[in-house]
Amino acid sequence: MEIIINNLRKTFGEKVAVDIPELTIHSGELLGLVGNNGAGKSTLFRLILDLIKADTGTVHMKDGEVDVNVAETEVWKDWTGAFVDESFLIDYLTPDEYFQFIARLTDTSDEQLQEFLAQYQHFMADELAGQKKLIRTLSAGNKQKVGIMAAMLLRPKVLILDEPFNFLDPSSQNAIKHLLKKYNEETGATILVSSHNLQHTVDISERIVLLEHGKVIHDIDNKEKQAQDILENYFEIND
Amino acid sequence: MNKYQLYRLIGKNADLKTERHPMLDKNRFMKFLMIFMWLYYAAILIFMGVVMAVGMKGSYNGVAAFHVFDGGLLYLLICDFWFRFGLQETPAQNVQPYALLPIRRSFLMNVYLSRAGLTWGNLYWFFLLVPFGLIAIAIPLGWIAFFGWLLGWWLLLVANGYAYLFCRALIMKHMAWLLLPIAIHGALLAIMLVPDKNPLDMPCTVLMYDFLQWKLWPFLLTGALIALLYWANYKLQMGMVYDEVAKKEEKEIKHATQLNFLNRFGRLGEYFKLEVKQRLRNKTVRMSFLAGLFMMVLFSVIMYFSDVYDNSFMRSFICLYNYIVLGMMTLVMIMCYEGNYIDGLMSRRESILQLLTAKYYFNVLLLFIPPIILLPLMIIGKMSVWMNIGYFFFTAGVLYPLLFQMAVYNDNTLPMNTKLTSKQGNTAQQIVSIVILFLPIAFEKAATALLGEPWGYVFLALLGIAGVATHQYWLRNVYKRFMARRYKNMEGFRASRNS
Repeated sequence: MEIIINNLRKTFGEKVAVDIPELTIHSGELLGLVGNNGAGKSTLFRLILDLIKADTGTVHMKDGEVDVNVAETEVWKDWTGAFVDESFLIDYLTPDEYFQFIARLTDTSDEQLQEFLAQYQHFMADELAGQKKLIRTLSAGNKQKVGIMAAMLLRPKVLILDEPFNFLDPSSQNAIKHLLKKYNEETGATILVSSHNLQHTVDISERIVLLEHGKVIHDIDNKEKQAQDILENYFEIND
Repeated sequence: MNKYQLYRLIGKNADLKTERHPMLDKNRFMKFLMIFMWLYYAAILIFMGVVMAVGMKGSYNGVAAFHVFDGGLLYLLICDFWFRFGLQETPAQNVQPYALLPIRRSFLMNVYLSRAGLTWGNLYWFFLLVPFGLIAIAIPLGWIAFFGWLLGWWLLLVANGYAYLFCRALIMKHMAWLLLPIAIHGALLAIMLVPDKNPLDMPCTVLMYDFLQWKLWPFLLTGALIALLYWANYKLQMGMVYDEVAKKEEKEIKHATQLNFLNRFGRLGEYFKLEVKQRLRNKTVRMSFLAGLFMMVLFSVIMYFSDVYDNSFMRSFICLYNYIVLGMMTLVMIMCYEGNYIDGLMSRRESILQLLTAKYYFNVLLLFIPPIILLPLMIIGKMSVWMNIGYFFFTAGVLYPLLFQMAVYNDNTLPMNTKLTSKQGNTAQQIVSIVILFLPIAFEKAATALLGEPWGYVFLALLGIAGVATHQYWLRNVYKRFMARRYKNMEGFRASRNS
């Protein structure tokens, strides 16, 4: 599924949050989005997910004959999974109930759900499945895991994760990297991941977009991990 | 920074919290409405003060007007107590943002408690008291008497405010504590109303007269009462701050309600489960539901055992109240709880339509509770069966569709599980609640006056049945209008989340 952004602009008062004349995220691409705080990463994700209104411009999802403007229809929601923050979670459900809720909405059978959960058992580390804890009582890291898994549950063609490595312990961060790579390879899904963790982003992304004040200032091919130097220079890591 | 400066700073922050509330910040109409209502009631109180002072003058067998007025002291304090619900916050929650700062928690509690005593809100009744006192006391007895009397009233209102805060904090711990003020006020009203002569009239009059004469004992007595209530509040609310900060919520739920029988309804069944679980697992939602049930039973019991509500208006009101209250409590604020997870909902196709449909079915099912509660009244003939049938369908097919319109316009997130909060809807939502409680009665009276009984009620029922039959159409209409406003609403939900 291709994501095509045209003349997309969003301002909050005087501040330009996103200003992207043209950007195409190709089908099956695993794209990393980096930038300092306030660069516009989350706003861009929210615009792609039609959660905020663009001042101008469009976001299209295109796959062969299918070509939809996300602001004009809801069909794209059937093939898009996303986790941006806690406002995606219904916190008075247990993780199992929440997964079941999402599964039913996405016509995933109970068997498929169990299979899915079994597949990610290591990632959940026995702290989520089968527990009678409400999501609101979970740690930030476990909430993050619930959100990521729920986004992946419907086997989306487009997966959008905002700061997925946040709050996770090192082994879970590593696990999520492998999960995303594997999922991308197996399904050919288009994956967008934003992160402040440059190492993880470089490790998993085949293309990295660097945002500054809402504008794309670098669009880097990272198939050979060549983005590392550019990003380290930009963020002045080795100074 | 010394303690006085810190006191000023915390007070300033508290004022800013109100001034910069997102709902007021972005809504000029709301600001205007609040100021208008404030002035409107102030004008009514001033008018009442003047009318009472002039009207009581020279009447009542030569008893001075202020003696008659002061005899009603407890009535005013009871009214003041119940009006405070929804208007005055408890201090404990306000302390939380300072929890990690190097400020003693006891100091913070003292700041908020003393501000609660010194709040301008305690002076609102002065719009009634000052014009009354000027005419009935200052003119015949002089300014010194007037100020003594006024100071006495202020001290009593401050004590009443602390009594309210204490009860409110207890009620937020457990709904059953609502029985405490009801029992005390009920007992006082019974003592005052049942005997031919109110035995509390004289003590109240003497108390206020001695304030007026600047005698020491009433000031000492009221001062001691304030100190006692302040101390009780301090102890109670400090404990609650720790609860709030520590978020001592159960780590595991005892029974994970599955509601598997709803699985056969597919997606709709899932949203129905959400409705049920939202009420079972969130303190704020659960308590408002229980409060509604409690009031339904209370009204019905009073009507059953006494004749105080045996008139046409109250019969209609109690019948309507029973049918609408449970729906009203959540539907006036429809989508406000969902504001907490609106992004997740909006990420699924037509989820809002299914959510609204599930909400409608859930609320229609709730309509089977009132006939059970009102059955004894129907059996003894105090309430007609036709009235019940009329309001049952009228609520399901006319009032619910009207309340569902709020889904298009509500854009303020409400906390679902906060232990201490007074944030229960904005002014517009409160106005809709009042309108929905009284306007249908006028409609019912007009229908029964024109068509007679039972045909007036049959007419109400038919209108309702039409609404029920077309529910999928109007729910889709609400959904489409919600979607047309989605960006504005989502912005509002985000802005007011955690505010």
